Parts: sequence; C-alpha cells; structure tokens
Amino acid sequence: MSRLSFRPRPLDITKKLPIVKNFKDFEDEEAPTSTRTQMLRIAAEADNEVQVQQVPSKKAASEIPTPQFVVVDTYERDYSRTFSQPTSYLRARGARAEIGEFVEYDLDNEDEDWLQEFNKEKKTLAAEKFETILFKLEVLDHKARERAGVITPTLASPIPVLLTFDAAVEALQSFSIKYGVFQSIYNYWKEKRERWQKPVLRRLQPPPPVNDTNPYNVFRPREKSHRLHTRRMQRRENNVQSFEKLRQVRRNLDQAKTLLEALIKREEKKRDVMENEVSLQRIQLKYKHETELLEDSLALPGFSSFPSKFASSEEEFVDSDDYSNSRPHPRPLMLQNSAFMDSKAAMASAGSIKREFGRRQAPYGWLHKLDPLEPLLLFTKPLDPEKLAGAGIAPPSDSSMPDGASACSWNIRGRIGRGGRIVFDRWNPLMHTPIDCGETLYIPPKPRPSSQFM
Amino acid sequence: MGSIDTPAVEENGSTQTPDATYTNGDGSSPPPAAADSAIARLGNESFRSNKRRSSMLPLEVGTRVLCRWRDVKFHLVKVIERRRMQCGGPNDYEYYVHYTEFNRRLDEWVRLEQLDLASVETVVDEKVEDKVTSLKMTRHQKRKIDETHVEGHEELDAASLREHEEFTKVKNIATIELGRYEIETWYFSPFPPECNDSLKLYFCEFCLNFMKRKEQLQRHMRKCDLKHPPGDEIYRSGTLSMFEVDGKKNKVYGQNLCYLAKLFLDHKTLYYDVDLFLFYVLCECDDRGCHMVGYFSKEKHSEESYNLACILTLPPYQRKGYGKFLIAFSYELSKKEGKVGTPERPLSDLGLLSYRGYWTRVLLDILKKHKGNISIKELSDMTAIKAEDILATLQGLELIQYRKGQHVICADPKVLDRHLKAAGRGGLEVDVSKLIWTPYKEQG
Repeated sequence: MSRLSFRPRPLDITKKLPIVKNFKDFEDEEAPTSTRTQMLRIAAEADNEVQVQQVPSKKAASEIPTPQFVVVDTYERDYSRTFSQPTSYLRARGARAEIGEFVEYDLDNEDEDWLQEFNKEKKTLAAEKFETILFKLEVLDHKARERAGVITPTLASPIPVLLTFDAAVEALQSFSIKYGVFQSIYNYWKEKRERWQKPVLRRLQPPPPVNDTNPYNVFRPREKSHRLHTRRMQRRENNVQSFEKLRQVRRNLDQAKTLLEALIKREEKKRDVMENEVSLQRIQLKYKHETELLEDSLALPGFSSFPSKFASSEEEFVDSDDYSNSRPHPRPLMLQNSAFMDSKAAMASAGSIKREFGRRQAPYGWLHKLDPLEPLLLFTKPLDPEKLAGAGIAPPSDSSMPDGASACSWNIRGRIGRGGRIVFDRWNPLMHTPIDCGETLYIPPKPRPSSQFM
Repeated sequence: MGSIDTPAVEENGSTQTPDATYTNGDGSSPPPAAADSAIARLGNESFRSNKRRSSMLPLEVGTRVLCRWRDVKFHLVKVIERRRMQCGGPNDYEYYVHYTEFNRRLDEWVRLEQLDLASVETVVDEKVEDKVTSLKMTRHQKRKIDETHVEGHEELDAASLREHEEFTKVKNIATIELGRYEIETWYFSPFPPECNDSLKLYFCEFCLNFMKRKEQLQRHMRKCDLKHPPGDEIYRSGTLSMFEVDGKKNKVYGQNLCYLAKLFLDHKTLYYDVDLFLFYVLCECDDRGCHMVGYFSKEKHSEESYNLACILTLPPYQRKGYGKFLIAFSYELSKKEGKVGTPERPLSDLGLLSYRGYWTRVLLDILKKHKGNISIKELSDMTAIKAEDILATLQGLELIQYRKGQHVICADPKVLDRHLKAAGRGGLEVDVSKLIWTPYKEQG
C-alpha cells in the first residue's frame, strides 16, 4: 500500500506536547506544514475509517432525516397525575416478583377474545379477575415444576404443565369463584399453555440455550469468562490444557537455562585458550626474534626439539578451536543430551568426535610442514581442498615455480581469512617470505634492512 | 405519510417525464413550461409505459423505482419485500422499499400509488448478483458494498452485514405508543413471536411492558404501580432525573428496554441476557411520573474498558441535548470509578456525531485554558476519554501537527472557536455535585 509512506511518526501519548497558540508563528517558517498536515490527515483517515471529515458530517447532521412521531390524544386521560416526587432521591424497591401482590400478567389478544366469547351471554367474569387467575395459574404451575425439580436453565425442550386442576382449585379457593367458571378458565389456560409449550408469563420462560444461533431468539445466558475475543486470550484459557502447556514451557526454559550455562562455561574456556594462545605467540615471536639475532652471530644447536613441542601443542589448540568453529550444530545437540547423560558418557562422546576430526584433519597436515618456529596465524582457518574443489575453486598454480612444486596444492598456503574470505598467500604475511621458502630454516635477506630489530 | 391523494399521484406519476422525476431531493416538479412540452412530446411514451405496467406488476423484489416520500418529492427506492394487500385483488400488493439516499431507518411499506411506474428500471433482479457477492468477495467488491451501505456499518465485515440485513430487512413493528407519543419505529426488533402479527405495540411508559391493544394498555395503566424506572435515582437536577437499573434485579424491565431500544438502534444485539448490564435511564419528571427520554447501558465489568454499550435518545426528545448529556454522564461515572472509558463500537451515524461533538467540546475547552505543555495521557486522565479517541478527535480536526521533528498541538483560539461552534451546543450540563452514586464494584 502506497499509503504507508504517509504514516506519521507514532505519537507518544505520555509525551508532553507544546500547545501553539499563535498560528502565525507557525506559518512564517518555510517548512512544509500544509503538505505535512495533509499527510497527517490522510494517514489518520486511513487509520480510522470511521473518521469522516468534520465539516461535511456536521452539515449532514442537520439533514439526517428520521421517522416521525405524533402526540397521543388519550395520553392525559390514560396516565393519572398522581406522582409527587419526594425530596430525597428515589430508591429501588424489590422487583415485582418479590413483592408478590402485583399481577404481572397482562391479557393478550387471544385472552381478550376468549373472554369476550365467554361473557357473551352474561357478564360473569371481569377482565381483571381473569388476568389475576391466569397469573396465579402460571405462578402455581411454575412452583409445581420447582417442587418436581424439572426447572430447566434454558429452553431446550417443551415445558410440560404440571399443575393439576384439583391443585389449582385448592390453591385459589380464596378467589370465591364459581366452580364452572374456574374450570373453563383452567381448561382455556391449559390448552394455551400446552400449545405454547412454555410458560405464558414472560418472566417464567427460560432463555434460549447458549448454542442456539437463531437470531430471533434473544437474551441468552452468558458466562463472561467464556467470551474471549482474541486467539491469544483463548490460548490462555484457565484449564488443564493450558496448565500442561505452561508446564511444558517451564521444562523447556529449564533446559535452555542448563544449555546456556554450559555455553557460558565453554566460552570462558575458549577465552582462556585464546589468551594462552596469544601469550604463546608473543613468546614465540620473542623467541624467534632472539633466534634471528643468534643466527646472525652464532648458530645454537639443540633448540630444534623445543619448538617442535610447541608446534604440536599448538596443533592441539587449533584442533579444539576449529572443532567448535566448524561444527556449531552438533555441539548444542550433544550438550542438550548431556543433561540426561552422566558426565562420563558425555566426555566419551566428545572425545570420539574429536578423534574423528583429528583423522579428517590428518591428510592435509600442512601444519606439520610448517616451520615449527613460524608462529601460527591466529584467527585463520585452514582450507579444505575437497570443499574447494566442490565449490569449483582451484588453487592458483604458481607458474613462477619451474620445479613443478605447484603440483602439490598444499604448498600453496590457503586459508580462510577473517570475514570468510579465501586467502592464498604468496608471501607469508608475517615472515615476508615466499611460501615455499618457509619450509627451510633459511631466511633470505629481508627486503628492508633489519635495522629496526637491531 | 399516508395522506397522499392517490388518484392524482398516479396520474402525475405516469405523465411526468423520466428526466424530470429523476431530480431526487431538490426541485421536485418540472417547471410548467417544460412540463407542457414534455407532455406533448411524451404522449406516446406514456401510452407505452401504461402497457408495460400491466406486464410488470406485481413488481419484483429488487426493482428500482421512484417513490413519492413524505416531502412529496420522488426518490429512488429499491423494493425490499412485497406482500398482498389484505383487501384487494390477487395482484394488489404493497411494497417495502428502501430509499437509496437515506438510512435504513426510513424504509417503509408503500402502496402502488406512491410508485412512479414509468421510472422502473428495466434491469431489475439483483438476486443472482447478490448471491455471488455474498459467497466470496474481492476487496474491491467488499468496499463497494461498504460504500453503498455507508452509515453506521463501517466496522462490520461484509458477511455479517449481509446476515444482519437479511434478518432485519423488514421492520416488524411499524409504530409504538409510549406515554405521550406515538412513534414511528426505525428498525427491526426481535420481539417474542406472539407480537409479530401486530404492526403497532403499546408500551407502558414506566415498566415498559408492551401490549398489542390499546384497551390492554389502559387496563394495565390502571394497575401499574410504577411511576419511574425500577432502580435507584442517582442524579436529580431540576426536572431531570437519572435512574440506575440493575439488569439482574429487574430482568423484565431490562429486557423490555432492550426490545424498545432495538426499534431505534440498527446494530444493537439482544443476543445475550441483560444480567451483566446496568441501565442508566434518563427521565423528565412531572406530576404524572418520570418519563423516560433516553438511556444508556453499561457492562458491569468491561474487559475492554467500555463505559457505554448502547445509547439512545427516544425520537421525540432528540436534538434537545439529551444525547450529549447521556454521553457526558457516562464519562462522569468513569471519572468516579477512576477509569478511562470508551463507547462500544460500532457507533451509529447519529451516535458518532454526538460523540465527536462531545470529545471536541471537552478537549478544546481544556486546550483553550491550558498553559504549558500537555500530553495525550494527561488529557485522558483529566477527561476519562480514552487516549485513542482523543488522538482521533484532535487529528480529525488537524490540531496535531508535526513541527521541527516533534508533534505539537495547534491551539489558535480562532481555530478552536470555529471547531467549537461546529461541534454544536453542549446540551444539558451534568452537575457532578448532584450525582450520588457508588460504582457497581463497590456496592455491597
């Protein structure tokens, strides 16, 4: 969306914003306020589609037509002027159902029509009385169902009539109503009640089931805790599954912690190794320097075995270092496993991998051919000719060497420099000597006078 | 409505030229001279359209045609539904029409005489097209639908919108009587099935019970013991009182109120029970009792910091500042609770206007007086208006600008006054000292 480019920098709601009272200050400067506001507005509108421009909608407000209403002429007659407001605020009384005396039921069309028919010959039943009796029948029936323990929380199936005629007669004795009339009312009510298959009085009708999706049925019960809006909230629902999930998360985190602790230990060791290597190299350089000085004056025999020892130990270091560098993936795996193994087994497996690595390294043991006195290049890695060939990289053949030494590829010293470059050194960068001279102890005269060492 | 002299209209309708009748809204009838020549020119055409008429009747659902509205002008409508007249021939239908330029609340049943049959478009039935779009829609199509149903629907996706419109497309109750007023309804409301055969319902204005016959209401009024909403009065100023009604304690009242309110709110849902809501009912009081003018509902515990779920001013009391009073009241309650709040969405067209007016007035009044810098958060804490609403309001008025690498609020008094004027009157003031109220959570 091209609109994204117009999005203004998000506004920090906690940041205090200056209030600019004078618009003139603002306009004087040449900065593109107008386009900027334009952008702001566009972006704001994109953000909130409800956002309509203020002015047109305001104009529309006076024009939004609505349906009409009229005054009811019978109002003043129907509603009596009997209300006087107390000085104190009105307080709620109990609901009508709790007060009990109020007849909650209002006759409907059907009831009125029946009553009219019933009263046709002579007026025997007043509407109010009829209303009261129907109301009482409803309440009594509800109580009967309560006693029978068949009150359903939702309207799942038709609700049967439990109130018998005899029970109704007994309960409503006080109404002093003729037996025949009462019987007619009861029969009418029962017929209607069975046709409806639910209480006639709305208060007693159970709500539709929660899973009922018919939009014409309304006022379902709702459990607040189940109304989860986003998927994230649903995942956090408080139940056994979430508990198990969280326990799994905890286990994973514990393992990760063990892993990280081991990693820290390893890195500390590596740092120690590196420090040792550096000091070693310093010593070597110093030593070599001294040798050169000696060579200039007198040759000292018997030192040759000493540096070779150095070299071999060096190889050890390089080995272990390279191992961790070149095989980063198996290592963590192994560590993870080691949490479940005993330490001996872990050591054994580590040792075997190391041995295997040593074997692989052996054929390309150009290190062995090195001048034992020559310090190892730190931070570099040897090249793997097989991999080179696989990648289609051929080491440069040195045409300057007539004796065919170029046939042995490992005479060309290749290495992976820092940053992953592949480097073929023609000169030993430290000694400033051609590569194949490095094998001998002979050191040609330096290009520069060695006065700096003197 | 309903007062249209039928035969005259029919004649008019068939002789007017299509050109003249298409002037929706403005300039209803053609100037006399033009009409004369048009009649002469169109003698043939009206004959042809008469012939066409007999074959097109009854009109199909989906037909677009011009219809005479209460302003006596012709407006383009779409036929939503039709039904046979109770007393009439087999081809006598009345039609439920939607005025394309108006909100659905003005949809109504009309008689054939109100329709200008000469304007019937030849391509009628859109049902096929509708079905296709309801299945799978591209974003473009979706937007198209959104655009055609602009007001109040912006936040619903197209599918739920269709479902909603299908289920509520025809108003079931046409008018209600509530206290002093007989009111035309605006929308469908899912009354119990027993009520659906009635075009008019009679509400008791105090307990809100509804009945199908006037005599039933009159009998009810003789016994009804309520003169005010069945809750605690929590505010009184002059003749104005506010009552808090607990949906759990007064279930039937709460449900009645919802049935009633749905008649005037398009996107209100009655899906769930009223237990979890409090209803704040605003009344004008006199010696007949406390007459409801409007209300708002509020969740007892809102996870989304809603301080208002539904808000309604009854039509006879609209445009008198009650709506803004209700909005202001909802924020006063939030302040007492020490929380910020926001209304539940979607807002209707009228609701959005009221809210935007309220936010504009409250925020700009502060900006006018405030000295020094101010953050949106501070504005939110002062007003209990949610930070997002503050941002939307100020950005909508272009008062937040980006200068020298930071946002600033432009509060030029002249600009603020202009916006304040456009936002309209503040309505009735809420006098906080008269609010005696304990938040639901702190009630026993």
